Amino acid sequence: MNLTYFLFFICIVICTLIITYWAAMRSVTTNIYYTAAGSLTGFQNGMAIAGDFISAASFLGIVGTIALSGYDGFLYSIGFLVSYLVVLFLVAEPVHRLGKYSLGDVICSRFPGNTMRLIMAIGAFSISIFYMIPQLVASGFLLRLLLDIDYSISVFVIGSLMTIYVMFGGMIATSWVQIVKTIVLMSGTFLLSLIVLSNYNWNVAAIVTDVKENSPLGEYFFHAGHLFESPLELLSLQLALVLGTAGLPHILIRLFTVKNTFEVRRSLLSATWIIGIFYVMTLILGLGTIAFIGYETLISADPTGNLAAPLLARAVGGDFLLAFISAVAFTTIVAVVAGLVISATTAFSYDIYHHMIKRGKSTEREQLLAARWTALVVGILSTIFALRLETMNVTFLVSMTFIVAASSIFPILVLTIYWKRFNRLGVISGMLSGLFASMLLLLIGPHIMHPEGLIQREAIISLYNPGIIAIPIGFIGAVLGTLLSRRQSASEISYEDFYKQAQTGVQSRSDAS
Amino acid sequence: MKETYQELMRKKKRFIIVAIIFAFLFYFMLPISLSLFPEKMNQTSFIPGVSWAWVYAFLQFIMIWLLGFIYHQKSKKLDEVIEQMIQEE
Repeated sequence: MNLTYFLFFICIVICTLIITYWAAMRSVTTNIYYTAAGSLTGFQNGMAIAGDFISAASFLGIVGTIALSGYDGFLYSIGFLVSYLVVLFLVAEPVHRLGKYSLGDVICSRFPGNTMRLIMAIGAFSISIFYMIPQLVASGFLLRLLLDIDYSISVFVIGSLMTIYVMFGGMIATSWVQIVKTIVLMSGTFLLSLIVLSNYNWNVAAIVTDVKENSPLGEYFFHAGHLFESPLELLSLQLALVLGTAGLPHILIRLFTVKNTFEVRRSLLSATWIIGIFYVMTLILGLGTIAFIGYETLISADPTGNLAAPLLARAVGGDFLLAFISAVAFTTIVAVVAGLVISATTAFSYDIYHHMIKRGKSTEREQLLAARWTALVVGILSTIFALRLETMNVTFLVSMTFIVAASSIFPILVLTIYWKRFNRLGVISGMLSGLFASMLLLLIGPHIMHPEGLIQREAIISLYNPGIIAIPIGFIGAVLGTLLSRRQSASEISYEDFYKQAQTGVQSRSDAS
Repeated sequence: MKETYQELMRKKKRFIIVAIIFAFLFYFMLPISLSLFPEKMNQTSFIPGVSWAWVYAFLQFIMIWLLGFIYHQKSKKLDEVIEQMIQEE
C-alpha cells in the first residue's frame, strides 16, 4: 500500500474515531444511546438513511452491473428507490409514533407482552446479522482487490471499527459516521461524474457512441433484457426490493432519531433525493467505465465488474483519485455495517435483556452497560463468522435479506397498523411462516441446490429470487393465524385507540390512565 | 374541530390508497412492459436517440419525487389540525 492510500485511510479512521469520542461523551442515557434522543433534523437523518442504505454493493456493484449489462443494471437500482414510497406511505409515521427504541415497541403498543417482543426481536436481530455478514465478507474481498491487504486483516479492521463506533458512540456516532459517509460518497461520485463528462466535453452523445463501440453488446447495450433471463425472475426480484426496505430494521429504527413526523417525512424525502441523484450518477459512471476503459480491461480486473468505479477513477484521475475513491468505498462499508450492529444491539439489549430478562426493571446504567456489551459481542461474533466464510460465496445473502424482510417484518408491521382483526397468533404465524418460507426457498433454490453447489442436485425451485413466493406466504401465514384463532378478548387495547395513536400520537384517555 | 380531523384523516387515507396503487402500477408496468413489448420499448422515443425504456425509467424518478412531495404537503395540514386537537384536549 503506498503512502497516498495510507493517508486517506488514516484520515477516515481518525475522523470517525473523533466523532465516536465526541458521541461517547454524550451517550449518557439510553434515550441518547439508542436514538440520539431524537435530536437529528430531517435532512441529517435523510443523509444518515442514505448512508445506512447505500452499501458498497450498491456503489461498486451497480456501477459494475451498468457497465456490463447496460440498461438492466440501471433498472435494478430503481426498485430500491421506489421502496421508499412504501416506507413513507405505509409505515414511517406510525412506526415513529408507536415505537420508542425498537420495532418490538411498535408491535407491543398494540399487543403488549413478551412473546410479541421476542418474535420481533428475533426477526430484527436475524435480519441485521444476515445482512451484516455478507457485507463484511464483501468488504474483505474489496479491500484485498483495491489495496492488496490480506482478507483477514481487512475484515478485522472493519469489524473492529464498527464495534468501536457502536459500543462507545451508540446512535449518535453511527448517525454521524453515516452522514459523513453520505457526504464523502456523494462528493466522490459527483466529482468522478464531472471528470467523465468534462473529458467528453459535456457531450453525452459522444459517450453513448463510445459505449456502443466498446461494449460487446454494441447497439444493444441500451436495450433491456441482458441481466434477467426470465420475466418472472425480474418481477420477483423487483417485488422483494420494493417491499423489503419497509421491513429492514436498521432503516426503520432511524425513524426514531428525529423529533416529530414532519421531520420523519423530511428524512425520507431527503433520502429519496440523495439516493435518486446517487443512482443517476452511478449511471454516468457505468457508461463512463465502458467508454473509457472498455469491456476487456474491466472483466480481466474482476469478472463481477465490481472494480468498475475504481478503474474508472484511475483512468481519469490517476492514482490519487483512485486512492480517494477507495477511501470512499471503505467509508461506505463501515457506515453500513455500523448501522447493522446498532440495529442488532437494540433488538437484543433493549427488547430481550431489558424487557424480557429484567422485566423492564433494569436501571439506566445497567441498560447502557448491557447495550455496550451486546455491541461488543455482536461485533466480535460477526467478524469471526465473516473470517470463517472467506471461501463461501455469500453475496446472495444481500438480496436474500430483502426477501426475508419483505416476507416477515413487513407483513406484520402493515397488518398490525391497518388490520382491525389482526391478533397475536397472526403476528407469530406471520413471522414464522415468512422466515421459514424464505429460508426453505433459499435452501431448495439454485443458490444452494446446484449441481456444483452445497447440495449437489438440480434445484427444486428455479428462482434465484423467490420473493414472489415467500412474500405472499408471509401475508397468508399472518392472515390464516389470525382467522383460525379466537377473536381478541375485551382486555386487549382497542383497535380504535391504537389506530388513533398510530395516526396522531395521541394516547386515548382510557389506556393512558 | 373534530370533524375537520376526521375529514382530513379520510382524505389522507384515500390519498395513500390511490397513491400507492398508482405507484405500484406505474412501477411494475416498467418490467412488465419490458418483457411484453421489448421491440416497442427499445424504439426511439420523442427524444432523439433515447428509447422508450429509458424515458419510462427516468419517469420513475419523477414519479417518486413528485408523490413524496405531494404527500408531505398534504400531511402538513393534518399535522396542524392534530396539533390543535392536542392543545384543546
